[in-house]
Formats: sequence, C-alpha cells, structure tokens
Amino acid sequence: MSEIQTPKRVAVRAEKDTPVDLRTEIIVQVALFTVGLIISFPIILAVFTSFKTPQDITNYPPTLIPQERIRVAVDGYDDPLLMFDVTFEDGTIRELARVRQDGQAILMIDPNNPEEVIRVENAELKNQTRVKFTFENYVTAWTSQPFARYFMNSVIQTGIIIVFQIFFSILAAYAFGILDFPGRNLLFYLILGSLMVPFQLTFIPNFLLISRWGLANTYAGLTIPFLASAFGVFLLRQFFMTLPKDLHDAARIDGASNWLYLWRIVVPLSRGAISAFAIFAFLGAWSQYLWPLVITNEQQMRTIQIGIRFFLFDQERGADWGGIMATAVIALLPTLAIFLVAQRQLVRGIAMTGLKG
Amino acid sequence: MTEKAKQTSFFSKFSRYRIISALEGYLYLAPTLIVLAIFVYIPIYSSFQLSLTRAAPFGNRSIDVGFENYQRLLTDPVQLETIWTSLLFTAGTVIPGIIVSVMLAILLSLPVRRLSWLHRLFIFVPIVISSAVTGVLFRWIYHPVVGYINYMLSTIGIDGPNWLSDADWALVAVSISVIWRQLGFNVIIALAGLQNIDSTYYEAAKVDGANLWYRIRHITLPLMSPTLFFLFVINTINSLQVFGEIDVLTQGGPGNSTETMLYSIFDFAFRGTPQRGIASAQSFILFILILLLSVVQFQVANRRVHYQ
Repeated sequence: MSEIQTPKRVAVRAEKDTPVDLRTEIIVQVALFTVGLIISFPIILAVFTSFKTPQDITNYPPTLIPQERIRVAVDGYDDPLLMFDVTFEDGTIRELARVRQDGQAILMIDPNNPEEVIRVENAELKNQTRVKFTFENYVTAWTSQPFARYFMNSVIQTGIIIVFQIFFSILAAYAFGILDFPGRNLLFYLILGSLMVPFQLTFIPNFLLISRWGLANTYAGLTIPFLASAFGVFLLRQFFMTLPKDLHDAARIDGASNWLYLWRIVVPLSRGAISAFAIFAFLGAWSQYLWPLVITNEQQMRTIQIGIRFFLFDQERGADWGGIMATAVIALLPTLAIFLVAQRQLVRGIAMTGLKG
Repeated sequence: MTEKAKQTSFFSKFSRYRIISALEGYLYLAPTLIVLAIFVYIPIYSSFQLSLTRAAPFGNRSIDVGFENYQRLLTDPVQLETIWTSLLFTAGTVIPGIIVSVMLAILLSLPVRRLSWLHRLFIFVPIVISSAVTGVLFRWIYHPVVGYINYMLSTIGIDGPNWLSDADWALVAVSISVIWRQLGFNVIIALAGLQNIDSTYYEAAKVDGANLWYRIRHITLPLMSPTLFFLFVINTINSLQVFGEIDVLTQGGPGNSTETMLYSIFDFAFRGTPQRGIASAQSFILFILILLLSVVQFQVANRRVHYQ
C-alpha cells in the first residue's frame, strides 16, 4: 500500500487567499448552506419527529416542526371543537369550529357566536395548528423497553473497549516506537497486517469460541475480541517516534525505568495523539452492530444499537415512529456530542491516517 | 524505518541491558499480540477449516465435505445472485459516493470568508452516526405514506416508488443510506487531497487564462488522482462489508434483492438452522473478492494515477 499518499494537512485552502468578490461569496455561502441542510436533514428530521404527537406524525403532508391541531371549548358542547380556516366558494375566509358531519355537509359554528350553526358545503377546510413539542415519546422509549439498561450496557461495553485499547496500544506503541529488540519490524508488520483481515472472516469462529467459553450474553463476551487495536498501535507509534531519542537516554541515565519513562514522560507528551485515538475508539465501539447482535440473545444484555433494531421490528405493525425516533436520537446523542466537542481533532485524525479507526 | 537504532545510545553497549530491554519489549507487546492472535490470526485458520465442513443432520457433529460449500456458492444461481448483488451495490455506492464527495470537497475548498466551520459541521456530521441509526433514520425518510423523500418528490410532480418494498428500488434505497453515512469520511479525505495540491499550479493556470472548469478538469482531478484512488480502494472494501443498514432497512429482501454476500453470511450462520460451514466458505469468497478488486484497482492505478 506504500504507493498511497496519505493526505497531510487540512488547514489550508486550495486556492490560497484569493480574494473573492461579494457575489461569488454569496453564491458559495448559499450553496454550502443548502448542501449542509440536505445532508444533515435526516438527523434534523429525526430530532423534530421525536417531539411529535402520534397524530401529528401521521399527518399528510408531513411537517417538520411538531404541531398540534387547535381545539376550542365552546359553551354548550362537552368536548373541545377542532378549529378550521374555512375558504368559501366566493373567496371569503372564516375561522370556524367543527361540530359534526351531516351527510355531504359539515355543521360548524363560530366560537364567538355559538348560537348560530352554519352548514358548510363545497368549501375548503384547513386545520388550524400551533407549534407543540411533546416529551411523550422519550417517556415511552424509556419505559416500554429496558432502555436505561441498553444505554448502560453500551456505556460499559464502550468504556471497557476504550480503556483496554488505549492501554494495550500505548504499551505496544512504546515497544515499537522507542524500544529496540530482535524481530521488531516483523512483529510490527504482523500487527499492521491484521488491519487487512475483514471482520466477517473471523467472527464466526470468534462467536463459537466465546460461546464455548460461556461468555455469550456477558460484558466480557461483548468486549474481549476488541481489546487490542492495530490501528491504535500504528497511530501512537507514529507519534512516539517523533519524540527525541536523547530524552529516553537522559531519563535512563537518571535511573528511570522504561515503565516510569513511559507513564511520566511519553504519555503526558502524547496527550493529543492519545485523545485523538480515544475518539476513534469511542466511535467504533459505540457503533458496533454485527458482533453485539450475534453474541447477545438476552434482552438484558443488548446494547443500544441492538435495542433500536428490536424496538423497530417489535413496533413494525403499529409503528410508533415517535418512540423509534426518540430512541435513535438518544443513541446518536453521545457520538454527536463528541463530534461537536472534538470535530477538529476527528477531522485531522481522519485526514492524517486515512482510517476511521 | 528511520529508527533502525544505530548502536550509539549509551546503554546499548551493555548486552545484559539489551537482553532485558528486548524482554521488556516483548512484554509490552504481549497483550496486543495475544488478543490479535486469538481473535484475528487463529480464527482465519479455523474459519477455513469450518468452510470445509457441514453440520451433520443429527447431533452436533460436522461432516467433512471438502470444497463442496465453495462449489455450491460458485455454481448455484441463487448464490451467484448474491455475488452480483454485492458488486452492483458496491458500484452503486462507491461511484456516486466519490463523485458527490469530490464535488462537495471542491465546494468546501472555495475561499469563502465566513462560516466555513459551520458548513463543515453540517456536511461532516454523518461520520459519527452508527449504521443502525442510519438505517432507522432512512427507514423513516423512506416511509411509504408520510416519508419525506416521496413527499419532496410529489411537490415536483414525481410519484415516488415504494422504496423498501419494491425489489427494483430496495438496493438503491440501501445504497443512498450508505453513501450518506460514508460521505463525511470521503469529503474529509477528498478535501485533504485537494489542499495538498500546490497552489502554484492554479496561479500558473490563471495567468494562462484558464477558467474554473478547465482548472478542475486539468489540474484538480489529475493531481487528486492518488486521493481518488485511495477513496476507491477504501470505499470498495467498506461497501462489500456493509451490514447494519441492510439489516435495519430490508434484511436482504424484498425477495433476494438486497441479499449481499455479507448479509448471506449472517443468514447462513445465524438465521434458521445454522449452516456455519457454508457461511465460512462465503466469507472466504468475499475476502478473495476484496483482494481481487484491490489488485485490479492497483493495476488500473499504475497506469492512471499521477503523483506530483
């Protein structure tokens, strides 16, 4: 793969500091803004949908902003009546409340003058609506399934994977980047080579092995195959190698062991690289799908990604899309938060390594 | 490897130190090597062994069948169909995905003064969305009654298809969702590739009076070709291994229209009666297909890619 040039920088622009006129600036701004909206639209839609009432969700044409139909209480009627904008054939528009259907016609009244019942025929009716956000879906999502448990499972699974991947990768990267021993390069290529092995080639034997060990449906089973990361070893080694060799010798002369040098000097100096790797490890672990799907069959051990899958398929008959969207929003919030906080690091990491972790 | 330590450091003169240091090195590597050995290297072998067997009709025994599983996968028309579906799906995600990404990267690299961080935020955001959530988000957008995509199409007078239950459209629908999830990654790589191009080329072209399209066609794209090649290889590998979106959106259906090789591995191994032998054989065929496609791409690249 040595022929692939991995791109190095992100900060500079292609046509450096060429002054643009205002017209170009406006066109480009509008184009970028439109494209950005289209791309993030599925997420925006999910967020808004998660705040909609069931009745609002099935309304056609669909609206983005959650809303409800306006009802008014009128003297002489037990239930509040739905309000409509009524456009008559002659073009006049009145705000009327609907009483009931009467054959082809609809009986309506003016709430300000409830005595007079108006027969409306051949007119265009449009529901009056107002913006209304409901948190109902989040309550359903949280209570109709062991959702807190799914979330906790994901946190534990992700936590274990990140901690071990960082720890093991730091150790291995130190060995490759700073120590010297026979077979170092060979072992390095061996580890790097594991990046070429696709997951589908190994997951069936791994499934059989983990099951034989009795670790299906446990946190150990969810995490053990992913405790090491060849990507992490590679990323951190590249960084450790930039540290001056004299620093190591000086520390050794002062009597520091490798262990001490690693944790007191190397790790603090590499916080940037380590946290960049931590972001990738987090995204990878949190998003895992195929492995948790096959290694758990007890509801109590599902991660949030798998929880969504089953929630979706359980609901399919009378799909509660509000609840499904609320679940999806909760599942994507942690990664979205990381993205907002660490966008720069994430982008730089991808551009530098050409890998997603 | 610049670091092939020249034996100049103070301590390396002492061989006792070198032995201890070597042992320490192996010790530091041990956790990573052990995990990778158990869960990556050895399973390659077990997977191959498994692919030469099939489950016996009774009990937990398995029967050695030689290459029968491979033979069936490569001759049975139903199985060949999954290979075709995989290739179609890969072409349908990789090519449009890269074209869109390069266009977006060019747009993002135009020198606007304000808000570029905001645009990047909105365009990059799908990178952090998991495949399961992507599937769910698009299932809603493809909803047959109140789905937004058909609503949008209806406003310009097009009667949209029933995306997920129409066998002609399901693969397209899944492809769109996968293109979306991979977009952020592709744009970031494409943008980095663009920004590596020396600006003097553009200045020279400008002096010669070349217009924007000419500059894109004759400077940007040729000089980006290493990046494009990289994107092709990575995207091909990724697309052949898509699982989450297919599982959430179509589960291989309707009919077999979205049954890719990877999804059939899951089907064989975990749905109904487990047939792990043939599933393993399929995973080897897929692995070889990935290698073959990479080799072909490298061959093409040797002739077409220009390095600065």
